[in-house]
Amino acid sequence: MAGTNFATMGIREIQAGLMNEEFTAVEVAEASLARIAEQDKDVHAFLETTEEQAIEAAEKIDMVIDSGLDITVIGPLAGIPVAYKDNMNLQGTHTTCASRMLESYVSPYTATCVRNTIEAGAIPLGKLNMDEFAFGSSTETSAFGPTRNPWDLERVPGGSSGGSAAAVAAGLATVTLGSDTGGSIRQPGSFTGTVAVKPTYGVVSRYGIVAFGSSLDQVGPFARSVEDAALTLNAISGHDPLDCTSQPVDTDFTANLAEGAKGMRIGIVPAFMDAEGLTHEVKVKVEEAAEHLRAAGAELVEVDLPNAQAAMSAYYVLGPCEAFSNLSRFDSVRYGYCDPGHKDLGGQYEASRANGFGPEARRRIMLGSYLLSAGVYDKYYYPAQQVRTLITADYTRAYEKCDVILMPASPRTAFKFGEISDPTSMYLSDMFTISLNIAGNGGMSMPCGLGADTNLPVGVQLQSPQFKDENMFRAAAALEQVYGKAPVAPAFAAKAGE
Amino acid sequence: MAQHVTERDVRGIAEYTRIHLDEDEVKQMTVDLNDIIESLKPITEYDLDGVEPTFHPIGSLSNVMREDVEKPGFTQEEALANAPARQDDCFLIPSILGEGGDR
Repeated sequence: MAGTNFATMGIREIQAGLMNEEFTAVEVAEASLARIAEQDKDVHAFLETTEEQAIEAAEKIDMVIDSGLDITVIGPLAGIPVAYKDNMNLQGTHTTCASRMLESYVSPYTATCVRNTIEAGAIPLGKLNMDEFAFGSSTETSAFGPTRNPWDLERVPGGSSGGSAAAVAAGLATVTLGSDTGGSIRQPGSFTGTVAVKPTYGVVSRYGIVAFGSSLDQVGPFARSVEDAALTLNAISGHDPLDCTSQPVDTDFTANLAEGAKGMRIGIVPAFMDAEGLTHEVKVKVEEAAEHLRAAGAELVEVDLPNAQAAMSAYYVLGPCEAFSNLSRFDSVRYGYCDPGHKDLGGQYEASRANGFGPEARRRIMLGSYLLSAGVYDKYYYPAQQVRTLITADYTRAYEKCDVILMPASPRTAFKFGEISDPTSMYLSDMFTISLNIAGNGGMSMPCGLGADTNLPVGVQLQSPQFKDENMFRAAAALEQVYGKAPVAPAFAAKAGE
Repeated sequence: MAQHVTERDVRGIAEYTRIHLDEDEVKQMTVDLNDIIESLKPITEYDLDGVEPTFHPIGSLSNVMREDVEKPGFTQEEALANAPARQDDCFLIPSILGEGGDR
């Protein structure tokens, strides 16, 4: 295995190498963990590595290979290094949500999506950094320090699934899982040049994911190729009796990857392409991507999402309201941070929640509480749910004319640490991603080259109708024909060869 | 800038959400919340007469029941494993009545 470069390999390549006995799964696990120990000092994508679980899973794969069976009988992720956003429970690991509140919490059970990857043969490498409780777009709100963007360590990887994005971009894992409530998979995917998929709400079980916005949250994969993302989604999708919102999805997301874009109808929203705040370099790359699809035989059609502006406000009503409700469970009694030395329970609650939650979490909890209070509810929360109806209807109308809608994933490339400090400006970085969570549809960020001004990755967002996620995978695969697979960030690709 | 919440309101919200804020934090939180609430203004300006609300992206949700059969759950030990303080087989909390007391 000397010279074998797992860091840049995809799922099929690793599995072929295992089957041809070029290397063993234990060697894949050991090399991956060694690389994390060496390279993650610069990136800080990982909050915890899971050596024991990784080796144990790898040994099982090697036993199957030794017995002469084809490893794909185990599942689509057999022998593949995978890591998880730290809001996903994996029994026996810390699940911190990057918060002091859960710093010492040890999962007593495993989330369904995580279990599905392991049952599909994945080698679990560890848990990944994020914005605290997924409240943010930069991973700067992590209580344990930010993750750095492998493309430029002075810049953020995006967020909230910044660790998941950075780990894939730096070649520290083949695929990772993240979660997306308002753009938390797609925006970091865009910032790090990775294939980042937020499936339709209900495709993946949310059981065992620490809840942020229960009607908005959805789990999805990060990968360096469309096929790897599709194979991962195959492994984690489907009905789970433990999540009543999960749906009986049995789509093979790899099925139409080879079909090409010919005959597809790609919707463009002209108002989005002229949106205030959209940088020139992103606009140029996104328009180029649309032209590539046209050249491949797709038809570009204009569509309108007239209520998209209201989606931002609706999201910043609904998100905090649901977060306020979900985060009321942290009571300093059953689990989580407990401020010591209080003689009365009320004082213990108030000090524990004040010191356990970071500033953004406190802000959102208090905002949600206000928005749901008597008299205020009718002014914000109820209209936000009405806006949701309008946005859903917008999408339904648009998808009568097209199979996929194409737009930027983020208005700009990765920003520098501290560059955006006031909360309202930070929220604007989600301007293209939020509508989709409100409607519950699928969307993904697909790398489409580097911006001319910053020389950093740009993501084009492809969106699908509800439970038609295969549409965006097909368009993404057609784009991959043009751009090639997503590379490991240059500084880390250079260090990947040993 | 419109004043949506006062410092007095914020103290009330802090008490309700059980998050202690000192006086400086109350001031800052009041500014932050007013900024954010102001940015939500478009939602109050839409003509939404007669529009039904959508409370959930999957419209056809219905309650799900499992078979009424016994299944193992967490043991008491597992359920208590993350408790910051425990005594015997119980969660341990400060007194809620008497000295100090709840308010």
